[in-house]
Amino acid sequence: MGLTQISASILAALLVGALTRGAPRTYLLLVLSVLAVYWFQPAIPLRSFDFWIPSLSIALALLTWFVTSQAGAWRSRQNLMGLFVIAGVVTLIDLTRYIFPDPFITTTTPPRFIIVLGFFALTVIAVSAVTIFSRRLALTLSFVILLLLGILLLLKSPILSYQLSVFLRTLTNRPTDTASALDVRWLGFSYIAFRLIHILRDNQLGRLPELSLPEFATYVVFFPSLSAGPIDRAERFSGDLKKNFALTQDETLSAGQRIVIGLFKKFVIADILALIALNDALAVQVRTTGWMWIHLYAYAFQIYFDFSGYTDIAIGIAQLVGIKLPENFASPYTKPNLTQFWNSWHITLTQWIRAYFFNPFNRWIRGYKSLPAWAMLLLGQLATMSLIGLWHGITVNFILWGAWHGLGLFLQNRWSDFSMRRFNTNNARLQSALQVGGILLTFHFVALGWVFFALGEPSLSWHVFLRLFGS
Amino acid sequence: MRKIVFLVVIALSLALASCGSSDTDAPVKAVEKYLNALVAKDADRLPTLVCGEWEEDALIELDSLQAVSARLENVSCSQTGTDGDTALVHCTGNIVLTYDTEDQNIDLSVVTYQVIEEGGDWLVCGKR
Repeated sequence: MGLTQISASILAALLVGALTRGAPRTYLLLVLSVLAVYWFQPAIPLRSFDFWIPSLSIALALLTWFVTSQAGAWRSRQNLMGLFVIAGVVTLIDLTRYIFPDPFITTTTPPRFIIVLGFFALTVIAVSAVTIFSRRLALTLSFVILLLLGILLLLKSPILSYQLSVFLRTLTNRPTDTASALDVRWLGFSYIAFRLIHILRDNQLGRLPELSLPEFATYVVFFPSLSAGPIDRAERFSGDLKKNFALTQDETLSAGQRIVIGLFKKFVIADILALIALNDALAVQVRTTGWMWIHLYAYAFQIYFDFSGYTDIAIGIAQLVGIKLPENFASPYTKPNLTQFWNSWHITLTQWIRAYFFNPFNRWIRGYKSLPAWAMLLLGQLATMSLIGLWHGITVNFILWGAWHGLGLFLQNRWSDFSMRRFNTNNARLQSALQVGGILLTFHFVALGWVFFALGEPSLSWHVFLRLFGS
Repeated sequence: MRKIVFLVVIALSLALASCGSSDTDAPVKAVEKYLNALVAKDADRLPTLVCGEWEEDALIELDSLQAVSARLENVSCSQTGTDGDTALVHCTGNIVLTYDTEDQNIDLSVVTYQVIEEGGDWLVCGKR
């Protein structure tokens, strides 16, 4: 999100928060969120795909709602109204093609209306078919989860993304020589997919209450958290929507303060640090150990201020409309060990992975009685952190970054067990020395991990490690 | 009620589908959008404004502007005729390239843009 989009989001949220209550607020948030899916989508060099990609986000949300809701739920007045609102907004966005000389919601001209009508028809057929199967076949929910994971795989793997671009270019009669892995940029899909998988999985386990379509769709594409999270939980979000919210002066001031802090973090601190933060070009050019550390520190703080700044902005904007999004950061660089760091860095992603991967994985691996406890722990940490790495992109460096943290968490766990027995003391000085030492050690461990995260190639990361340690 | 809604949707779509193809200025607008994307060096939008056969040429043209700042000056385009399904659009005015403090003008009147309709959109598809 750029400054224009953030400003418009703040203004829209202020108006919704100040002027609407109850059901109208939900519908207005739905309209704004659907609009935002199209407006925030960046331009891509494939004609009309900046319209089709957001449309697919909406279609996937509808598909998930239909397969997780009770049979015939769509016929209720509220859900029909939700369908009408979503279809109406998408239609209006498309009609801008005929009204305005230049595109003004999408970055390029939307496709002809007749083609969009065809898309509507296809969506109805696909959703109906899957929904009919879902009533008869319990595996349908797993199929939708696999579909979402498959799309994530396509988007996160540079090789598969490139092949997807070649395929789409061939399909649309474009030259394949100019295809690139960056062609298909699907705004916020990682977050949308994680929200949908949470709903599908909790529905499978019977843990999720029934949500109306307007609540559901607003949750999935809620405009403040569309591009950078946090990953909220559906039942919590829906609870906030149902509350009789009225925007007070205190609430406005508190939200405003949060937004200003976020803007300062992102557009002042992070953007200044970005000028000297470690990147592929600097990794090759820097000749001295001291400067390499400065670039690494700059990167560590830049990524924190950038991401946590966006989170502050999202939380502040959501607060204006009565939604209390969960916190995503809690001073992570001040934590004395890696476990606490991961409990305070991208908290909602960590919680998601813990609920839907780490815990089930641990339960599964405990079935292998022959494995010693330390091996189970090591495998669990490595698999979980590698998955978090892969979520950022399917590259060797992201896997190495994940493995670095997985190994770190394992070692820290072993060290905690050992040190608790050996250094259990009431000496306050020793305690604070251990605390400070722990903070410094954890920060530097995390910072060194960013060497993998920031750079594109393992060889370049190795070169930076050598430079950092004096070679 | 449902029948009326259905009929309205069908009528609206037919009307819109037909009005989409009746825009006589569309080839001229296509060239203007192309020139604007070119001077903005917008590598994501530019390919969406040209036909597949001319995409690589358009990107080469865009690459040639990377080292300079570019702007349009007094540009005005009009359709001068057709060649089969191809609309011919002629422009006057300049692309002004600035490198350091030095300006260089590219006269647009020396070329005629070929514009074709593809899937309801007019796309720049070459120069003569």
